[in-house]
Amino acid sequence: MKKLVRITVLIICVMSLSLLSGCTNKTGRVVNVLNWSSYIPDSVIRDFEKETGIEVNYSTYSSNEECLAKVSSAKEGTYDLIFPSDYMIEIMTNRKMLEPMHWNELENIDNLDPFYLNQSFDPGNGYSLPFVMASTVIAVNRNHITDSITSYQDLLNEKYRNNITLIDDERIIIGIALLANGYDMNTTNEEELEVAKEWLLQLKPNIKAFDSDSPKNFLITGESDIAVLWNAEAALAYQENNNIEFIYPKEGSALSMDNFAIPKGAKHQEEAYEFIDYILRADVMKKIIESYPYKNVNQETQKLLGDDYLENDASNIPSEVIENGIFVKNIGSSIKQYDKLWAEIK
Amino acid sequence: MTMNNKKIWRYFFLIPVIVYVALLIALPLLYILLISFFKSDSYGGMITTFTIQNYIEVFDQVYINVFLKSILIAGLTTFICILISYPFVLAVSHKKPRTQKILMTLVMVPFLTNSLIRMYGWLVLLRKSGVINQVLLGTGVIHESLSLMYNMSGILIGMTYTLLPFMILPLYSSVSTIDPSLLEAASDLGASKIKIFFKIIVPQTLPGLFNGSLMVFTPALGYFFIVDILGGGKIMILGNLIKNQFLTARNWPFGAAISIVLVLITSLLILAYRKLGGKMDDLGGA
Repeated sequence: MKKLVRITVLIICVMSLSLLSGCTNKTGRVVNVLNWSSYIPDSVIRDFEKETGIEVNYSTYSSNEECLAKVSSAKEGTYDLIFPSDYMIEIMTNRKMLEPMHWNELENIDNLDPFYLNQSFDPGNGYSLPFVMASTVIAVNRNHITDSITSYQDLLNEKYRNNITLIDDERIIIGIALLANGYDMNTTNEEELEVAKEWLLQLKPNIKAFDSDSPKNFLITGESDIAVLWNAEAALAYQENNNIEFIYPKEGSALSMDNFAIPKGAKHQEEAYEFIDYILRADVMKKIIESYPYKNVNQETQKLLGDDYLENDASNIPSEVIENGIFVKNIGSSIKQYDKLWAEIK
Repeated sequence: MTMNNKKIWRYFFLIPVIVYVALLIALPLLYILLISFFKSDSYGGMITTFTIQNYIEVFDQVYINVFLKSILIAGLTTFICILISYPFVLAVSHKKPRTQKILMTLVMVPFLTNSLIRMYGWLVLLRKSGVINQVLLGTGVIHESLSLMYNMSGILIGMTYTLLPFMILPLYSSVSTIDPSLLEAASDLGASKIKIFFKIIVPQTLPGLFNGSLMVFTPALGYFFIVDILGGGKIMILGNLIKNQFLTARNWPFGAAISIVLVLITSLLILAYRKLGGKMDDLGGA
């Protein structure tokens, strides 16, 4: 019995030792990455660590505002690399929270498709570089819905009672209501917002749920037959049910672009650039896109991707949709109007 | 050991509790109180000027409606919890002490799993093609799937399920203090069961009932994840409203002001309880 106890203690000691040794690496270099949850597969991170000897401390957030809160409340230099979306880049540059982006540190910079550079939120890409892009799309389960749907107005059809799932995002959904009525998605005009509110109240009986975590599940389980969701979610739903059709409405879709950015005072900038450079590699980006089918912005990766990605409108968003699409912009204090409107329709 | 020494030791062991309460409850609350008087700037920061604008805004009709909806949901949840808890607790209290212990432990077993995960469990049960609908359809009880969630019933099922133990536990400790001879006497004197319940059991268990109601009602005002998951995010309660101020509207001062109003409402409820003759010891001692 005593022997058994001793052996067990010994095994535990050895195991904890090996665990400890797993935590340190030879070079002692680290990079602290703060990224969206489920955006880069674990294997990519492990491969980067193996290849460069840089240890990646990876933490996640699930909204731009959460990223803002984490970066601004932590001590300067806590994070070395973050992935904010378009309007958050604008907010962060305005609050002087970002380091300038040095293109010359990146060998693979030319892999980025120039089509996606120089966006309105960061002209000249002085503070950010695109990582992936996303667009909202209407996904329709053609097993149950046969009508033609080409516009947001079609969603008001009384036949779709309690059958539509929307992402739970006030800027996007109010934005869609504005688009449906022919207004600018980023308007701060009160009368236009009032029209959007009436439109949403009219749509409400058709809404099954607002869900941002996994709206695709509503389509997959048959809980609802129509959903307005991000393109990658729609693409994943399609993998489960090939009768799902993707519709980019004629009024335009909401776009979102997530970007590499280095927070002010980052302590491991050299390692952060190495990490960005690694992700910009065509084969690495391919792995990421294959796991999370957002719109790829890497022209070299585009050549490597297979037909299931390229020919799928949900993952490989058509360029005319992007040209016709609109980014959510920072509207300053007017966000309060949107928030109040959101409380009113719920 | 002298008296004095004993006292010092008593305070010594209190230190962790004092530090805990001060650091993790008092300080954050003070911070919330402080920022509720600030102004927010357009980039999600805060301007440190004194204003009561946030509190004025809370009383806008839109937000009052949110308050009323939350109170309705929390009130209904409390009522349903009371309806379920009384029969359960009374039934348990008639069992052998050993069985009582086992049953009451079982009430607490769900706490071992995170409540968020348990909500996802309910999804599997309640959805259109879920277990409950399948069984009811299969046995011919219903002919069309019931809408059990993504509406009010989903919210109430989730809230009641999550908060029920908080009603059962205080009610149980109240019921177990009732002198059985009182019940026997009442029954000997010809009181009906209903009369015994309302004339003896309810008055005797009022502290437990109030304590339970408070512990169910207050969190129910703020459990936004239940409304989001089982209610389909279609209804906004105070919890969602506060969360939105911090995570989407980037308006921390307003979120803080709503939180303070929520704390005040809870405090008023406790005050009302004391005014009605309740003892604070009964609330904490359950």
